[in-house]
Amino acid sequence: MSIVTDLLARPGVVAAGEYAYRGDRFSYRGALSDEHARMASVMCRATTMGANMEGAMLDSIHPGNGLHPPRGWLVRGPVHTVCVMANVFCLLDHTQGSVNDIIGFMRQNLGDVPYGLI
Amino acid sequence: MAILDELMRLPGAMAAFEFRGSGELLEHRIAHPDRINPATLDLLAHMCSANMSIAAMQTRGWEQVTAMQGFYPVQEFTLVGFDWSVVVSALRRERCKQAGQSKLPPFTGIVLANESADYEAVFALLERSEPAA
Repeated sequence: MSIVTDLLARPGVVAAGEYAYRGDRFSYRGALSDEHARMASVMCRATTMGANMEGAMLDSIHPGNGLHPPRGWLVRGPVHTVCVMANVFCLLDHTQGSVNDIIGFMRQNLGDVPYGLI
Repeated sequence: MAILDELMRLPGAMAAFEFRGSGELLEHRIAHPDRINPATLDLLAHMCSANMSIAAMQTRGWEQVTAMQGFYPVQEFTLVGFDWSVVVSALRRERCKQAGQSKLPPFTGIVLANESADYEAVFALLERSEPAA
């Protein structure tokens, strides 16, 4: 199974998808329309690019800090958490599932994605 | 600040800090001064403040476009780095906004080692209704 399919099978996951670092290709599964999945992919890619730029800046000023290169990021609201690792995103209802579980799974499967792909 | 001292007791905690909405570092605690210093935290605070604002804009728009709820207001932004993570919370500010207060408290953040990070424990502490005095 793909990581997107695996993510969708975990408790609380509403939708999951994958976007290209360059270009506008994306794929997804779960409770999103095509248009909304496209919008989510663009937002996640933009934030990932920004986070990597910020990490590089931090590393150039304070070399050796453990934040660079970034592996991913989360945005947590009252009910939903957006979890992004490498080029995979996941919308989690965190009242039904565990952020620790999702991040652990994503780090295990995506933590070694080469930084140079970004 | 009691909340910073409590954050420093969480597994893997390397630093805890507070910062203004505009990003300037205020209070901080550092467990390993050889690996992280106030200048690092100050730039990190500015980064997190910017990402919080972007996330607030995106989640607000997302809810209106999709009619999905529960993304806004943003409670925490987390950056998962290579070895460390940083979690910052806006929840105290949001509670003050909802109470109609014009003077808002600072953002609160923690830097922690990924290997021992318990994100749920961090969220639980940052989202607690009444921080211990």
